[in-house]
Amino acid sequence: MMDGPGLPGRRGFLGWFLGTSVGAMCVSVLYPIARYVSPPEVPEAPTSRVVAAKVGDLRPDQGKIFRFGGKPGILIRTGDGYRAFSATCTHLNCTVQFRPDLRHIWCACHNGTFDLMGRNVSGPPPRPLEEYQVNVAGDDIIVSRS
Amino acid sequence: MTSFPRKAAVLALTCWAAAAAGTAGLAAEPPSLRKGPLPMETSCVVCHRELDGAALEPVTRAADDVHFQKGLACHDCHGGDPEAGMDGDPSAAHDEARGWKGKPSRLQVPELCGRCHADPAFMKRFDPQERTDQLAEYRTSGHGRRNAAGDAQAAVCVDCHGVHGVRPVTDPRSGVHPSRVAQTCARCHSDASLMAPYGLPTRQHEQYQASVHARALYEGGDTSAPTCNDCHGSHGAVPPGVSSVANVCGSCHTREATLFREIEARKGMDLEACIQCLICHSNHEVKPPTPEMLGVGEGSTCTGCHAEGDAGWAGAATMAEGLGRLRRRLAEASEQLDAAEHAGMEVGPDRFALQTASDQLVEARVLVHSFDIERFSKAAAEGIAAADEGVAAAGRAFRELRSRRNGLALSLVVIAAVMVSLILTIRRIERR
Amino acid sequence: MSTALQDKTRGAMGWLEERVGFSQILEMGRHKMVPVHRHTVWYYLGGMSLFLFGVQLATGILLLLYYRPSSEEAFESVQFLVTKVPFGWLIRSIHSWSANLLVFVLFLHMFSVFFLRAYRRPRELTWVSGVVLLLLALAFGFSGYLLPWNTLAFFATQVGTEVAGAVPVAGGFLLRLLRGGEQVTGGTLTRFYGFHVAVLPAITTAVLGLHLYLVQRHGMSVPERVQARAAMPFLPSFLLRDLVGWCAALGCLAFLAAFFPWELGEKADPFAPAPAGIKPEWYFAWMFQLLKLLPAHVLGVEGELVGILGISAGGVLWLMVPFLDRGEGRRSALLWALMGWAAVAAIASLTAMVYLIPGSS
Repeated sequence: MMDGPGLPGRRGFLGWFLGTSVGAMCVSVLYPIARYVSPPEVPEAPTSRVVAAKVGDLRPDQGKIFRFGGKPGILIRTGDGYRAFSATCTHLNCTVQFRPDLRHIWCACHNGTFDLMGRNVSGPPPRPLEEYQVNVAGDDIIVSRS
Repeated sequence: MTSFPRKAAVLALTCWAAAAAGTAGLAAEPPSLRKGPLPMETSCVVCHRELDGAALEPVTRAADDVHFQKGLACHDCHGGDPEAGMDGDPSAAHDEARGWKGKPSRLQVPELCGRCHADPAFMKRFDPQERTDQLAEYRTSGHGRRNAAGDAQAAVCVDCHGVHGVRPVTDPRSGVHPSRVAQTCARCHSDASLMAPYGLPTRQHEQYQASVHARALYEGGDTSAPTCNDCHGSHGAVPPGVSSVANVCGSCHTREATLFREIEARKGMDLEACIQCLICHSNHEVKPPTPEMLGVGEGSTCTGCHAEGDAGWAGAATMAEGLGRLRRRLAEASEQLDAAEHAGMEVGPDRFALQTASDQLVEARVLVHSFDIERFSKAAAEGIAAADEGVAAAGRAFRELRSRRNGLALSLVVIAAVMVSLILTIRRIERR
Repeated sequence: MSTALQDKTRGAMGWLEERVGFSQILEMGRHKMVPVHRHTVWYYLGGMSLFLFGVQLATGILLLLYYRPSSEEAFESVQFLVTKVPFGWLIRSIHSWSANLLVFVLFLHMFSVFFLRAYRRPRELTWVSGVVLLLLALAFGFSGYLLPWNTLAFFATQVGTEVAGAVPVAGGFLLRLLRGGEQVTGGTLTRFYGFHVAVLPAITTAVLGLHLYLVQRHGMSVPERVQARAAMPFLPSFLLRDLVGWCAALGCLAFLAAFFPWELGEKADPFAPAPAGIKPEWYFAWMFQLLKLLPAHVLGVEGELVGILGISAGGVLWLMVPFLDRGEGRRSALLWALMGWAAVAAIASLTAMVYLIPGSS
């Protein structure tokens, strides 16, 4: 090799190369970390508790589908308060809906019905719907797994 | 010998009336369950136990028989004297003077069973929910009408429920349990020689086996899935008339039936006269609906009535196009999300969003039965929008993946540069 | 650089030098010599382990910023971390991959020390502390595996803690200690989290400190039958070579994280039936395979118990190697080498059985 103590140009270049590349590596390590520590805009994923609706969103005898842990849930406002269930029909996993005319939870796929306690009352569904707990905190209707 | 359910014994002591009656001919009233030996201690059992073949069979199968379990004995159907003949002289028990009837003829069977099963007062003692209209229904059925006309070939109670060893319908081993009904009906209805005199087809069972209903019943184990009697009725077995097909299907497929009625009302015409469920979906061989059934292409069920140029033809084409687009887009979205997941991206939340598209696909397929382009298109468009969102989410995932790989390439170059410069530095230092 | 600034920098350096004494440390590094011979390459494994441990520490601390240790939130917080947090996927994947590489490198490090018989007098305690560090790394792996609260981890933990329950006398206590109850529940998760981020790091810091001190005190061991050709100064020669290796490791981690991101799986459901294909992490696979291969009863004793006692006895024997291997000469060297290869062959073949023979796991 040609470089050596007598060739300051080569030495200088090596020093520059080392410094630059180490600097670039530091950047490539620190940049992701800096981005990581700054929290994202999106709110943290809802978990076992979810704000299913706001007070006033639902009239009495009205239902609403909300997302709960990656699956649909159904929130119903009855005459005396709120109830929430899993919205996945226990027959063939269609999404159920609230029928104000029947005052029942109803599955469109095969005419399965559940009463307002989530019990399967007619049609093919073999099991009741899973019930969730509903709490009203301030303006939020909060559904949680009991 | 006395291993009968306690219930039966109690029944024997409390309910059995003392009066002796109904031993001659086929009395209309139920057997008056007289005091006497328990069912398995009659002379019938004592003698027939020693016999073999067809004469032994009633004894061996008695333990499985719901009638025996409830306290009925041989003579309640066959007559005769259950206490006589113990001395080894069977003729005493089989004495017509003592009410012996022998084997009831096929023509007599319905009335024989009806003695009890059509008597509400009698049946409610065993089960307050028990129906007692079977005989009346049977008389309205094809089987019952032929039986009444003296056709001994027509099915009677024992052909489906069995004789000696009759199990309740809730017992999966019973021939009338939902899982076995089709087989039971097929014993006669698939037999060409039996059906020939009536000019009835024999392929129903074969067709049913291929249907979506049979699949749900046998493969899905869903005993609520329809089998023969759910459409034809159990005891009043007749083919549903043209006017009631939509009602029969509509008892489960309510939304489709409701939509059907709505359009009927709107158009002010009797649609059922020209369209019925089975024109498109067939009757026994109800296959899962395929995309080809809708539209104007090969395999379409619409083109049977609609001709090119009429509104129905155009509507069918529009619906088929919308449904096809939704289906393709949904498949594309889930395929791409799968691919993104396979590449290590987390797409759980996007999959949930895609649920809307599948729900709308179900909805749109139902709305086909409204024959209302506007309603259908609205549902389909919502589904397509949701599926588009899924495709876009997968696209974002892949862009993210590409940018990750680009970032990786860049950082690998940097790291390699550091390694090279370190190695050069080592060499320079060590040359000194 | 202007002279004024240079003066200032020099002044600040002088101030620090006076108080910290860098030059002394540097001088020590320059005087510490690393022997150069055909087995020198194995010396780098210790530094590599240390680097990967550092990566674990850094990424682990970063993960703590978003992780929530409860059965309701653990899975969702990790899912949030890998989907929504910028570079969250990178940090998590690097933590997982680096953990696995670390265990692998630790095994290599240990076996290289074993085969070079570097554990002999006066380095007995270095060996013992090293083996303890490996056990700590395994404990880190076991406790960390559960933290994302996914199905596979849940059931792997159930099976793994069951093994602890089979230990004679103390089994019941150990099981309850690990699970925080009779069953694997949210309580277990909280507990494992505590072990993973507090208990184990504290113990590791102490043991690692001892290990490094002992390495410094005794220097590198030169195998008996090897002639050291020369020696290189730790500073800068050895450290720079270490750095090259560390850069390579970093590149590997980045590559693995980008091309094989660590899967998250499905959220654990304690009431769901166990899914097919539950496998412990690969470094535990051989132990589970051994337990599985043992017959139900060995000489009237439960097979699982025999297996656990056997593995524990093997572990103690392994820990005591420096005190047992005191013989001189070729014969004893050969004997110990044979034992080492037998252990390697057994572990390798049991592990291979799990992954290569379908249906064996």
